[in-house]
Amino acid sequence: MANKAFAWLDERLGLTTIYNVVLDRKVPKVNWWFTLGSASAILFLLQGVTGMFLAVYYVPSPQSAYDSIQFIMNGVAFGWLIRGIHHWGASLMVIVVFLHMLRTFYYGAYKYPREFTWLTGVVLLLCTLGMGFTGYLLPWNQRAYWATTVGTELPGTVPLIGPFITNVLRGGAELSAVTLTRFFAVHIWFLPAVIGALIGVHIYMVVKLGISSVPDRED
Amino acid sequence: MDDEQKQRYLEKYKQAKQQGVKFFPDIIYKDLLVSFALFIILVMLATFVGVANEPKADPSDSSYIPRPEWYFLFLFEMLKFFPGQIEWVGTIVVPTVAILALFLLPFLDRKPARYPGKRWRAIGVMGVVVLAMIALTIRAVITTPPQVEAETVATTLSESILIGQDLYSINCVECHGPDGEGGIIEGVEGLEGYDMKSISAQDEMYTRTDDTLFNVINYGQPDLGMQPFGIAYGGELSIGEIETIVDFMRYTWDDRAELPQEVTQASAMPTLGEDQVPSYDVHIEPLVKRYCISCHRPGKKNNNYLMQSYEEVMNTGDHAPNVIPGDLASNLIRMLHREEIDAGGPMPPTKALKPEIIAIFERWVLGGAPQTPEEAAAAGTVVTGTLTAPQTTAIPTP
Ligand code: HEC
Ligand code: HEC
Ligand code: HEM
Repeated sequence: MANKAFAWLDERLGLTTIYNVVLDRKVPKVNWWFTLGSASAILFLLQGVTGMFLAVYYVPSPQSAYDSIQFIMNGVAFGWLIRGIHHWGASLMVIVVFLHMLRTFYYGAYKYPREFTWLTGVVLLLCTLGMGFTGYLLPWNQRAYWATTVGTELPGTVPLIGPFITNVLRGGAELSAVTLTRFFAVHIWFLPAVIGALIGVHIYMVVKLGISSVPDRED
Repeated sequence: MDDEQKQRYLEKYKQAKQQGVKFFPDIIYKDLLVSFALFIILVMLATFVGVANEPKADPSDSSYIPRPEWYFLFLFEMLKFFPGQIEWVGTIVVPTVAILALFLLPFLDRKPARYPGKRWRAIGVMGVVVLAMIALTIRAVITTPPQVEAETVATTLSESILIGQDLYSINCVECHGPDGEGGIIEGVEGLEGYDMKSISAQDEMYTRTDDTLFNVINYGQPDLGMQPFGIAYGGELSIGEIETIVDFMRYTWDDRAELPQEVTQASAMPTLGEDQVPSYDVHIEPLVKRYCISCHRPGKKNNNYLMQSYEEVMNTGDHAPNVIPGDLASNLIRMLHREEIDAGGPMPPTKALKPEIIAIFERWVLGGAPQTPEEAAAAGTVVTGTLTAPQTTAIPTP
């Protein structure tokens, strides 16, 4: 019965082909540093899942944001765990993605034929930092508010267009409800969409080109 | 890389693959192990460290010290190296160059070498950058002052006014004078010759609320030459300390507010008998604190003459000794009499001290510049014996 069901699905989805191409392929013998990329991807998924749960209760408005977080921490079953994982996961993801970048750099994995993988990687790094920046404001506490105030002030020092950038980031001259909804939208829609899509491209490239081997003296 | 090198690389890579392992299960197993370990770490952090509870955002509390997420700290720290006009170099030029370099790396470094030992230049540059980021982060962490709660420095109003008076003497006298009276500023770098308006006059006091005064001290008046004093803006005063200064200003200068009795008593000059020799500890120190220390402390222009303790008053200064026991021709006395000498101009530069106060300094020097009241008592008899007239009358008034 199970066999039959599998055969039925396989015929339609091409599961065996996927198994042969993706899973059952030969790759060079590599070391533990090569696990950082998949760890980044898993952390992204984990942030996505915990973030979805947070979004159930979170309200992106200056009046309610802080209280909704308090409620998640104290009123929702395991809310503290979900928020805790999301909070620490953000820092850990930055560390892991950065280390992954350093490892591909160190082994020269950005060279032919993996230049494009590297390019998508740089965008992923920037987007990950963007997630950290936009997520930091959402709890609407003192730390969040003032860090974002100075953070959005910085582009204001750019000659000519600086004040305009600050205005776009804040949605006005001051941090306000508009800033909060703006950061919220970027944090839960724009950036995750870009990161998700780029991880797809990134991993497709890795599977297509194969993971690089650890370079030896001759390389 | 030319085509031949590419070909060679692909050939070698094929071999590496053949001698390699299966993606599933060998690689997947390692990946899952690491990811699972990270997940456990996160659960532990969430459970045992948790997320610090912060007060709700308060847009009016500008004394809060902004703290960016830790992985942005190095950026903010780096900005400190690009002050003022060139700040945009730090905010836009450096990050843009760094990001561009990262993007263009595969096109900048086109040599076929992959072995790290053969790429020491690229590795070196990246190493330096990463070390600099770590160093800047550490520096940011140790130089950020701890978050000040709006702590209470004083418990009673009188206490607050007295603390405020001392803080005012240290921080403000150099520019505003001991009584906020202002005048032509002398001896202050950057404001030489500035005609400072009075900040203690009635119209000032009537038109400035406590909040205004607080903000002036907290943010300073950077355009006019008064630096910020609040910790959050790079100064040294906490919120509580600034509040005491405001209390001091309000209760001593505003004729609508009545100075509490206790304060009048506590800040009154210690009594000094007709022919008694003053001591440093009881009589001179309060005067120095009120009229001199604002300029005569480290980091100010003062010919390295510091006046924070007896030893410093006696021994420091480019023209030390500035106080010679028994000698009215000591630099300090001559300068109080507004003489122009090698050591410098009149002291305090802006406005002469009252003759009674100068007289106390003179009696102290004549009596041998004693430190403690006991020493002064011992010296007292000697001085009275050698002088025919009471010292106060012997002193020429400026
Ligand atoms: C380095 C010199 C300097 C120091 C030190 C300084 N100030 Fe000022 N302050 C100024 C200048 C310059 C102005 C501008 C005066 C003007 O408008 O002409 C000013 C203005 C003020 C004003 C008037 C603001 C207004 O509303 O017009 C107040 C009040 C004041 N300072 C209080 C203080 C206090 C209190 C301290 C000590 C904590 C202090 N200042 C230390 C230079 C200084
Ligand atoms: C507004 C700032 C200011 C105040 C207030 C001030 N001084 Fe000075 N003092 C200076 C400066 C600046 C010098 C360096 C000489 C000069 O430029 O005239 C100096 C130099 C001196 C020196 C000579 C030091 C040496 O070794 O060359 C003596 C003594 C002195 N001051 C005594 C006093 C005394 C006593 C008071 C308090 C009654 C006082 N000063 C208050 C700014 C100040
Ligand atoms: C969200 C962030 C990222 C995810 C999820 C991710 C994921 C992955 C995965 C799963 C691999 C397979 C090999 C490995 O695990 O080491 C990989 C390889 C690679 N990644 Fe990333 N990555 C991310 C960010 C980056 C960044 C920031 C860079 C560099 C700027 C980068 C550059 C590369 C390169 C060049 C490879 C090929 C390595 C090789 O073949 O040896 N990636 N990435």
